[in-house]
Amino acid sequence: MKRRTLLKTSTAAALLAMTFAGPVTSAFAADDPVKVGILIPQSGPGGLFGPSSKNSAELAVEEINAGGGILGRMVEPFYADVGGPPSDAIQAALKLWKGEKVEAFIGMHDSAVRGALDNLFKGQVPYIYTPVYEGGECADGVYVLGETPAQQLEPVIPWMAENKGASKWYLIGNDYSWPRDTNAAAKTYIEASGGTVVGEEYLPFTADNFDSNLAKIKDSGADAVLVTLVGGASVGFNRAFASFGLSDDVTRLGTLIEENTLAGIGAENSQNLFSSAGYFANIDTEPAKKFADAYKAKFGDDAPVLNSLGESVYDGLLLLKAIADKAGSLDVAAMDKAAEGVSYSGPRGEATLEQRHTTKDIYLAEANGADFTVVETFSKVGAGDNCQ
Amino acid sequence: MASSRAINVLFLIGLLLVPFLWDSFVAYQLGLFLLYGMVGQGIGLCWGRAGFLPLGQALFFGVGAYVFGSALKLEAGSLFLIAGLLAAILLPALIAFVVGFLVFIRQIGSGPYFSLITLALTMLGFQLANSMDWLTGGFNGMTGIPALPGTDTYETLYYVIWAALVLVSGVLAYVGTAPFGQLLGATAQNEERLQYFGFNTALLKAIAFAISAAVAGLAGALFAPHQGIVTPQSVGFLLSAEIVVWTAVGGRASLMGPVLGAILIGFMASELRDSFQYWEVLIALVFVIVVIRFPGGLWSLVEGLAHRLPSFGAKGARRRDIETDKSRANGPVRLAFEDVELVLGPVRILDKLSFRIETPGVHSIIGPNGAGKTSAFNVLTGRLKPTAGRIEYSGAPVGGLSRHRIARMGIARKLQIPSVFPDLSVDRNVDIALWAGDLTLTKMFTLRPFRWSTPLLNEMYDIFPFLEDGRQPAGSLSLGQRQKLDFAMTCLTQSPLLLLDEPCAGLSSSETGEMIDAIERIVGTTGSTAIIIEHDMQVVERLSNHVLVLNQGALLANGAMEEIRSDPAVQAVYGGGSK
Amino acid sequence: MELVALQGLNFVYISLTLALVALGLAVVFGLLGVMNMAHGEFVMLGAYSVLVVQNAGLPFLAALPLALAVCAAVGWLLEFFVIRHLYRRPFDTLLATWGLAILMREIVEAVFGRDYKSVNQSLPGTVEVLGAVYPAYRVVLMALMVAFFAGLFLWYRRSNTGARIKAMVSNPALATAVGVNTAVLARGAFIFGVCMAGLAGVALAPLVRVEPYMGIDYLLSSFFILVVGGLGSLAGLLVGSTVIGGSDAIVSAITSKTGGYMTVLIISILFLWLRPNGIVSRD
Repeated sequence: MKRRTLLKTSTAAALLAMTFAGPVTSAFAADDPVKVGILIPQSGPGGLFGPSSKNSAELAVEEINAGGGILGRMVEPFYADVGGPPSDAIQAALKLWKGEKVEAFIGMHDSAVRGALDNLFKGQVPYIYTPVYEGGECADGVYVLGETPAQQLEPVIPWMAENKGASKWYLIGNDYSWPRDTNAAAKTYIEASGGTVVGEEYLPFTADNFDSNLAKIKDSGADAVLVTLVGGASVGFNRAFASFGLSDDVTRLGTLIEENTLAGIGAENSQNLFSSAGYFANIDTEPAKKFADAYKAKFGDDAPVLNSLGESVYDGLLLLKAIADKAGSLDVAAMDKAAEGVSYSGPRGEATLEQRHTTKDIYLAEANGADFTVVETFSKVGAGDNCQ
Repeated sequence: MASSRAINVLFLIGLLLVPFLWDSFVAYQLGLFLLYGMVGQGIGLCWGRAGFLPLGQALFFGVGAYVFGSALKLEAGSLFLIAGLLAAILLPALIAFVVGFLVFIRQIGSGPYFSLITLALTMLGFQLANSMDWLTGGFNGMTGIPALPGTDTYETLYYVIWAALVLVSGVLAYVGTAPFGQLLGATAQNEERLQYFGFNTALLKAIAFAISAAVAGLAGALFAPHQGIVTPQSVGFLLSAEIVVWTAVGGRASLMGPVLGAILIGFMASELRDSFQYWEVLIALVFVIVVIRFPGGLWSLVEGLAHRLPSFGAKGARRRDIETDKSRANGPVRLAFEDVELVLGPVRILDKLSFRIETPGVHSIIGPNGAGKTSAFNVLTGRLKPTAGRIEYSGAPVGGLSRHRIARMGIARKLQIPSVFPDLSVDRNVDIALWAGDLTLTKMFTLRPFRWSTPLLNEMYDIFPFLEDGRQPAGSLSLGQRQKLDFAMTCLTQSPLLLLDEPCAGLSSSETGEMIDAIERIVGTTGSTAIIIEHDMQVVERLSNHVLVLNQGALLANGAMEEIRSDPAVQAVYGGGSK
Repeated sequence: MELVALQGLNFVYISLTLALVALGLAVVFGLLGVMNMAHGEFVMLGAYSVLVVQNAGLPFLAALPLALAVCAAVGWLLEFFVIRHLYRRPFDTLLATWGLAILMREIVEAVFGRDYKSVNQSLPGTVEVLGAVYPAYRVVLMALMVAFFAGLFLWYRRSNTGARIKAMVSNPALATAVGVNTAVLARGAFIFGVCMAGLAGVALAPLVRVEPYMGIDYLLSSFFILVVGGLGSLAGLLVGSTVIGGSDAIVSAITSKTGGYMTVLIISILFLWLRPNGIVSRD
């Protein structure tokens, strides 16, 4: 008698439990929010991109949720500061992943942090890396939105040769992987366009006096300079460049000169300065203007200025939704299977995932006082051979 | 102190319980700051105890991390891993020892120059870590470091870190209590005086620096599997500065203070970072306040509470039951100054000074102010280098040698102003004197030397009974007592040649009488030679048969007291007559 | 030939600007023995003064009195509340000023934001010097700096205050005994030192990036200059900046900036080790 009651009650309990637990495959019920970890730099050298990144993320979350969320679930963003050394970034990401049980990550940070996070996630959680970088990221579960050197330079260098007479190039950047990889790619395009490389230099991050470099540039007879300096070095170099009168005769092309850096360089020093990127605040297309208006409406006139790094976080969330929609789930294996060929539309135009990277439009802009003006758009530029 | 031992143990036990009181993820995060705290403990040994501040410990931390990280990545078996761990600990120690020794032998006092050198080295290390990417992975760092075999990084590695912390704390606690640690403290208080006891303080400091580097290397080694990545920031100046800040806030003179500082400031900062926008301002404020108002750091507040706790641990009287043989070579001392000159700038301090002393007993050097008496002692003991001339002691040349080497040759010196080690107890001061010249490097790390005793020590207790009250700090003695202690210490070295510079300065007339008796008695018992500089003629008369008169850097007269007294040249100089 | 002229001008420019930046620390560290880790932050304050003045629509030179006022005020507060108690505790001074540096950076960041600001060039354009095309502002600045250092040198040598400072530095007790008010003199010297740093910030603002963290590099290079050149004398300061700036310029011209940077570090280490009193020892 007792045993039968026990059996009945335990069976009932088990059935009840199974009902409430839901199907085994989905760990989250239909109306649980999607927790997305947004890793942006809020301190350290990248910290100046924090505010624009956060704003872009908020705008994206608002718009996605207004449209029904991801797979019918509302997006709940969790922000963490990854502007410090990789060890700090790992702690921050871990707190979101293991602590808050975040299901996907959007990352806007440097490659050192990216390497650390790859090692941490080991393909167990979807991770979208959004800023411009050196290429070559092929880990499982990682999707790359940002511009690669191939994208930024393959169409642009021939354009410079044709329209600006750039044939003798001087390459100058900071001493780490992104500038070196960028220059390696640049050399092939320069040669292909009939030009020569007349100088190549790498500076430590601490450099703040560029006089010797400028003297060498002048002496080399270069008519174009490819700038892969970052942060304060970029500002300092470009200011000094103009002050020595070099900007009259020598064209500058940068692959990471965005609106903040331009503000630091100053309108009077930005003559003949070009930048090649996937986004500028002043892009004249419909989607870009719509985005800029929405940004201004939400954050006001004094909001942190839009730039390609900050805006990339907005696109990152769009890409996450696009892949998840096609895969039908946020499970990283399903997403990996579905990812190839996924496309989405955003302020940058239409982008398509190929080999984990996005084929998209590249804009070449010229500095015009304190702003950029797009002078040429190259559509659907591939990101190059990153993963075989 | 015993009650701090209780607090330390409680603190460590508390840390062990963290995974149970919170969860293993919190413990994982805390583990990182325990590692930084360990580095801070090493800084505490150098700065809190020995008085020099290394500003670049991250260099050793980073080297340890890169070395052990490489070993882990190779995955070549446990023997290889152990070798890697040893390399991660010993390589930084070796670098630190070489750098420390080279820097410390050049100058006395560990002022800002040593700190700036360590700072520059860490900046150089950062640059090299960035540039040598074939070795270190460059800016992106050494990635893909696997977990420590046998541990789960997020679960059980914490216990390994905790065990390392306990080990390091135990070792540092022992080193601090051992004679080596006591000598470090003495170095911080009065380095020059310690050298006159024959201790090579540069070597002591270099060893301390090496120990701190080894600790940092061990912490770095565990950092590698904890994080899975090592980047140049782990070698750089900013991390070094941060750890120094945490050490200062936590308490540099205490064993666990740096760990507390790392936890409170470092760990809390990473928690606050997301919720409070101006967390850096808050931390900077806390830091400044602690530096100005609580030089002992936050741990000193904790210890203030600890005094309520019952203290346990060894108590009771000091047992001095090991007789050491400190008798030196017998036979009369032979000291010779030959045409010694000392010229500093335009001033001729010693002008062809020549004399000989070849009998035991007390000799006196007298002369007007500025005659060069103390300067003669200075060139004899290595404080100054003679410009010309020759000084010979028992046949060996002495001019220009280092202080501690000369002391070891058998010359002991008592300075003009009583110089003891004020923050050490009287007992400890006496210990240092007993150890002088006989304490080898290995013995420094055992506890036996605390039990040393000599017959002369008992005689000292007889002459100066206040010495038996050994626990009081030497700095709290009166001036007269400090003179006597200084004198006692000088004699306890049992050096054949004792140089006493104004031993009765600042003493009352009764104390002067005591001192005269003491000098007579000691010199008689030990059969040593003593040279006294004195102004008080009463002292000179009573004690010495042989008197040297110096004037303007040269020997004016030389002989027994009566001869000197009746010498017209001497009378003229003292009478102020001729030029 | 133009390359040589340019590199030569660069050499002079680097040496003079390093000397200008380090002058404040030469006074504070060289004369007073205070390791002021917030030295770079005073340079930063000077640079931001130019920004404030520019935003208010005032001419560039109005930044000078503003920078001096701000630095003097902050310097006075610092000396009175913090430094004064810590003259005998060099390590604690180091730490306290390091904490204050963090505070200053954070406050500036809170007020102005972290992003790079641009200060307009009040004297744009280039001139031709020795066959090289060189920015006009720099030429004027170099001339002014030479005049300034010459004037300072003469003043220190001839004036009563200079004599009193020398007395205080070599023998504080004796100086007090003969009636030199060392406390006031020390405070004055400290304030002068930080004001010099602010002045350097004003001069350099049009040429460098202006952001809260700009001061750290100046701090470290200033220390190394003083060690190499020798504390306590103007000659030492100039020698030090020439050696440091020169070796950086020369090695960078030959190899790379990284090489130049490491050369500076190695030279500094060697001097710290072998000749900590520097080339021009005060003895």
